[in-house]
Amino acid sequence: MRYPMVLACAVFVTCTAFAADHGPVFSYATPVNSEREFSFDTGMVGRNGSRGTQFSTGSGFGYGVTPHLTVNAVLPALFGSGSLPESRIVTGTEWSAGASWRFLHSVTSVGKRIESTASLGLVVPGPQQDSGVLAGLHRAPGVAGTLATGMASRSHYVWLGGSYTRFAAASHDRRPDTLSWSAVYGYRPSHLRRGYDQWDYRGFAELTGEHTGAVLSGGVMLPNSSSTTVWLGPSVLAIFKNIAIEGGVQGPLFRDVSESVYGRERVRFAINFSYLKYSSHTSSH
Amino acid sequence: MKKISASGFLALSTFAAHAEYQQINLTVFGMDCAPCAHAIHVSMKGIQGVNAVDVDLNTGLVSIKLAPGNNAIMRQFNEAVEKNGFTHKDANVIVRGQLSGSAQAPFLEVTGTKDHYALTPLTGGVDISGLLGKAVVVDAVLPQSGKGKVSDTLRYKSVTEAK
Repeated sequence: MRYPMVLACAVFVTCTAFAADHGPVFSYATPVNSEREFSFDTGMVGRNGSRGTQFSTGSGFGYGVTPHLTVNAVLPALFGSGSLPESRIVTGTEWSAGASWRFLHSVTSVGKRIESTASLGLVVPGPQQDSGVLAGLHRAPGVAGTLATGMASRSHYVWLGGSYTRFAAASHDRRPDTLSWSAVYGYRPSHLRRGYDQWDYRGFAELTGEHTGAVLSGGVMLPNSSSTTVWLGPSVLAIFKNIAIEGGVQGPLFRDVSESVYGRERVRFAINFSYLKYSSHTSSH
Repeated sequence: MKKISASGFLALSTFAAHAEYQQINLTVFGMDCAPCAHAIHVSMKGIQGVNAVDVDLNTGLVSIKLAPGNNAIMRQFNEAVEKNGFTHKDANVIVRGQLSGSAQAPFLEVTGTKDHYALTPLTGGVDISGLLGKAVVVDAVLPQSGKGKVSDTLRYKSVTEAK
């Protein structure tokens, strides 16, 4: 009964904010696609700790249904066998699909926007098994809701975002609920505020945090399986017209994680490539 | 012979519908990065009759040059901005059309399209009554309009008889 409810929620409302496209690489941000614009993302994120290294490659696409509503899907694949806590900021093995709605959009001056975007999506287990504590769990779909708000301009970018992911239970197992949040500041120096037919560079400082609940296994909450971490690091975005390349690295600022369960995660890194396909369609008379 | 007749007819019909927008300089708010400008560029170039588009991110100015004989309408340019999630402000336009109405309430009809505008002077009164009924070229400011709408008034800087 729970599965149909979860599915219905995700289908009838809307998706997860995939931290990619042409913005910060780890954090939540507000931009959505233009109407009839396709976006294609592919990249790699990595997590390294004392129990090993995980790489996940993510491929995603988005389509702008309206100027403020984008549907999207992300299909990651996992490599490596690190025993690391659940994370929704660094994608794992779950496939996700949903939609993002930019419900607040205030254009205040040349180059400046204040906006807020809500996303809701369905997260389903991919064909791959997890590693570590999560490896043996029966997996079930989940729902992810995300809210991001902030400001974009020719010089400064500020975004705040938060997300909550709740998984359904399967055979007395359940992946942990995850609360994720991020704050990001971006800056484009004056000498880089150039024409659109030249490379466009931006630097970001990205602060992200996550709290994962306890893992339910066989009807029992695994002791010390919850975690709280905060990460900080720089990222750089380079864009030429409709092609974007972004990369970043983060180190831990705060960790409340059982090292006996998860080991000691040391570093996260990501690189992403985006291609944006715009539509030239306009209405006829 | 058929070819000559067809090309002659085509030339005549083009000539008859040669009232049109010639240049539009549109201020757009909200573009912060290269993909924003690229999206506007692609959208504007997709409008039939557009010859060249230039986007200046630092001023928000989108400069559009149109081919003679085009029948593009203003709503298409506004829509191209709106579908990319931006906002259009005032536009400077150079448009060719037929001057009608009266000396007190002149109208510009952009033939070949359904666009028509009431004309008001941008600055002090200029007598354009002598041009009524003639084809004219108007250099004017088209004030900002709401989403999905086009202002029905052109505030003209100059009105000259079309050659």
